[in-house]
Amino acid sequence: MKRNEQTPIIQRSMFSWVLEGNGKLQALLLLVIVVTVFARVLPLEMQKRVINEAIKLRSTDLLMIYCGIYLGSVLLASGLKYLITLLQTVIAQRVLARMRKQLYQHILTLPLSFFRKTQPGLVVNSLVTELTTAGTFAGMAIAVPVTNVLTLLAFAGYLLWLNWMLALISLTIYPMVLYLVPKLQRRANRANKERVDTGRDMSDKITESVSGIHEIQANGAFAIENRKFEAITDKMERIRLKWTLFKDGVKVTNNLFTNLGPFLIFIVGGYLSMKGQLGLGALVAFLSAQEKLYDPWKEIIQFYQVYQDASVRYERTMSYFDAEPEFALTPEGREPLDLEGRLEVEDLSFVTDDGIRLLEGIHFTLEPGQQLGLVGFSGSGKSTLAQCVGQLHNYSSGSIRLGGQEVAALSKQDMTRNMSFVSQSPFIFDGTIEDNLLYGCAAANTDKDSAGADGLPSLDDRIAILHQTGLFVDVLRFGLNAKLLEEQHRELRDTVVRVRNSFQSSYGKALADHVEFFDPDRYLYYASIADNITFSASNREEFATEALASNRYFLDFLVASDLKRPLMNLGLELARQTVEVLGDLPPEAVFFEQSPLEPQELPDYKELVRKLKSKRLHQLDGATQEKLLDVALRFQPGVHKLVGFPQILEDLILEGRSLFRERIAEEDPEAFKFYDMQAYISSQSILNNILFGRPKTSHPKAQEKINQNIIQLLIEEDLLETIVAIGMQFQVGSKGDRLSGGQRQKLAIARAMLKKSRLMIMDEATSALDNNSQSRIQNLLENRWKGKSTLIAVVHRLDIIKNYDQIMVMKAGKIGEMGKYDDLIAKKGMLYELEFGRK
Amino acid sequence: MNSNSGGNDACQSCEFQENLNILRHIYFFSRLPLDTLKVLAYLCEREVFKAGDTIFQQNDDDGQALYIVSGEARLLHHDGSHESEIREYAAGDFIGGLSLTGKMERLFSLEAKTDTVCLILYREKFTKAMDQFPDQAPRIFQAMAERLLTWERNFLNDHAATCEGCIQFVGVSLL
Repeated sequence: MKRNEQTPIIQRSMFSWVLEGNGKLQALLLLVIVVTVFARVLPLEMQKRVINEAIKLRSTDLLMIYCGIYLGSVLLASGLKYLITLLQTVIAQRVLARMRKQLYQHILTLPLSFFRKTQPGLVVNSLVTELTTAGTFAGMAIAVPVTNVLTLLAFAGYLLWLNWMLALISLTIYPMVLYLVPKLQRRANRANKERVDTGRDMSDKITESVSGIHEIQANGAFAIENRKFEAITDKMERIRLKWTLFKDGVKVTNNLFTNLGPFLIFIVGGYLSMKGQLGLGALVAFLSAQEKLYDPWKEIIQFYQVYQDASVRYERTMSYFDAEPEFALTPEGREPLDLEGRLEVEDLSFVTDDGIRLLEGIHFTLEPGQQLGLVGFSGSGKSTLAQCVGQLHNYSSGSIRLGGQEVAALSKQDMTRNMSFVSQSPFIFDGTIEDNLLYGCAAANTDKDSAGADGLPSLDDRIAILHQTGLFVDVLRFGLNAKLLEEQHRELRDTVVRVRNSFQSSYGKALADHVEFFDPDRYLYYASIADNITFSASNREEFATEALASNRYFLDFLVASDLKRPLMNLGLELARQTVEVLGDLPPEAVFFEQSPLEPQELPDYKELVRKLKSKRLHQLDGATQEKLLDVALRFQPGVHKLVGFPQILEDLILEGRSLFRERIAEEDPEAFKFYDMQAYISSQSILNNILFGRPKTSHPKAQEKINQNIIQLLIEEDLLETIVAIGMQFQVGSKGDRLSGGQRQKLAIARAMLKKSRLMIMDEATSALDNNSQSRIQNLLENRWKGKSTLIAVVHRLDIIKNYDQIMVMKAGKIGEMGKYDDLIAKKGMLYELEFGRK
Repeated sequence: MNSNSGGNDACQSCEFQENLNILRHIYFFSRLPLDTLKVLAYLCEREVFKAGDTIFQQNDDDGQALYIVSGEARLLHHDGSHESEIREYAAGDFIGGLSLTGKMERLFSLEAKTDTVCLILYREKFTKAMDQFPDQAPRIFQAMAERLLTWERNFLNDHAATCEGCIQFVGVSLL
């Protein structure tokens, strides 16, 4: 492990980041600075020599030489200044990235109890905003003080060399500044600390309102919430005002004193010059040098302020996350253990930080491969027990031994290697189905029996687990809905076209009720008007469906085929109706499934509809016409039911279709590829390509029927695995929101089972599943996992626990009763009461 | 079962309007204001079931309420060994409003007796829509409560005297 990772990040000082990993860069920076300081002083000397020597001696050669050196050093100084900024930025960004990564690493390991008290917004704010100034500081930490102190010393030395008396007089102001500035800064720091804390309160409040928005709206508690937020905002306003006043006070004080410098020089220097005791050139050089003292001085003060601000934010941030992980992440000095599935729990209790006793005196033993069902009323401690066994909480006393090892003493790596956990509301991460499926294995990399070269389960294993958990058909569906790119899937596309023909002959009839086949002589109610007119797909960008409404060639065609005006009319009607019905709803995808408008377009069309109240179609400008045509071209009468679809328009479009085909064949035959039984259609999904049509409905029963037929066909053609592999690349969206609740839960179960762990913990893992899926998982546990993997399952439905080896009924954190299902029912105790109610 | 024909028949031009009229006359929705009804009418879908198709299945939680636009359907109950027909539904009947309000498994199956067109509202969409009108949820519950009360009152009036065993099991309005 690296040196710095041994000191927890929260205990590191801000200075410890300055050199770490940046030693060479910082040294290079110093070198550049020394050269820069020299390049900065040189022009002053040249300035003096131009006046005192070149002009006095009227020597053009000298003038040229001195001016040349002047110009050279100015150019060099500017170039170097840029280099310094560049180096500083590189260092700052590297430090910031390193800080973020390490703090994030640390936060992830903190105990679950920490997150119960912490709002996500705060963690976001800490990582994204608060640390940036500390990064900036690290970039400046060496460069700025060294550059400016050196420059200051160099100018001061030069001033003393020019005229020691004048120099001393003009330097007297700095001690005064040095006395006043820290006083002001201390007050600014105090305000800054308050600002960081209040910022935290504010972010807490906002996060709370966003997550509790249903409650607020349901109670109409707008005034209450506004009052709370206003109080914090007002406090923030006061604190920021105070902070800015003191912070700028520092700048103003500094400016005032440094501006007094020239005043002193004019008085004393002017007098000495008049008396002939000081050369004019020297006075000019003195004035310039004195003026140049100001810049480095200002930068030192600024640096001081950044340092103060950064250390306040840094300390505040680090102290907030000052908590220790409850368990070591990796074992020390040994490989992670492979443990037997024997579980012994003795006199276990768990008390929260607030002293609430959630578990007490729990005692039981499970032999490897045994299955324990945990039941009980809510709040009885079932989940807490499961989480303690799974090392998600550190228990307060007693013992849990897995394979003879005390769980509290094992590292996280030991546990994840031997255990899989499915939580009550499993989390699915943004990425593909496959990413999520392999999440546990990739983290533990434990699957040794069937590991591929990368240590992950083979494709066969992945597909098998999808089958077992009942996710197979869903993933197949995702695969069928994917589009195949020509360059990646040339062969598969050819196969699909071949399969299409055998599909039509074998299954075409059976699915005719659910599928609208592509037929050049019939209107397609489940395809857009654009597809109905072109009845083809184009590989050219200018003819892409979304570009048609603004394509000149296509617009001319619409006019020629008498379609433009009726389509604009339809577009207007669609926009009007959508705005009327959906106008006040939030832009959620579910509300827009039956409208040709996309949620994000609604505000635009709302405005358009408002404007159109006073105008006729022919009065509209080109852009508005295109907007209306765009909606109309997306209209699918089978799906979008807000407006009717006149028969006359349908007939016109069918006529337009054949006219379009003729025109294209004549004028630009390469532009479109007409739907053809013998060619793959790139713009359509695999399913639509096989069907050579589109499903008419999303009703589950109809989909099931289509699926059955398609699966049969894919098995015959040996394509099933190929399509499922494509389906595994489906992007599940943020938090898996493109999956249903059941799909998410099945995916979480599949992810856990794929690990083939010795211990499996399932915390109400099937609560979102329908009965069939639930029974399927239960059968799987009983037939495939019993005897292989020790199981603790928190169960909310009592009809699936009959075959567990042991049932534990929990009540108020204790074991109420424990034994086999039949024995407990015969005893007519708690389980009996839970199952049959109080008689 | 057949899917919506999507065809260009006379009704096509007014499907949304028709849905709206239907919802206005269903007790479950009747107390809702027009703006809310419009959203719900828009979210409804029509499905065509062929004679013999299962519309919903006992033990499933299909999460849908349906209104029979045309056709007839049979309500069946399976008790492990044999299936019995409870009653028939026809055009104008509304079934399953309660399953819109939360997870609920079917205790019966519904099968299309003739080709049947149903107007279906799914729980997922209904819930999302009602989330936007939180102050109107009580209206739905009120309608439900009234319906339950009427049902039991009628039952007591019509059957309690004639069916001896029945009186033992009444009390659903006390839930």
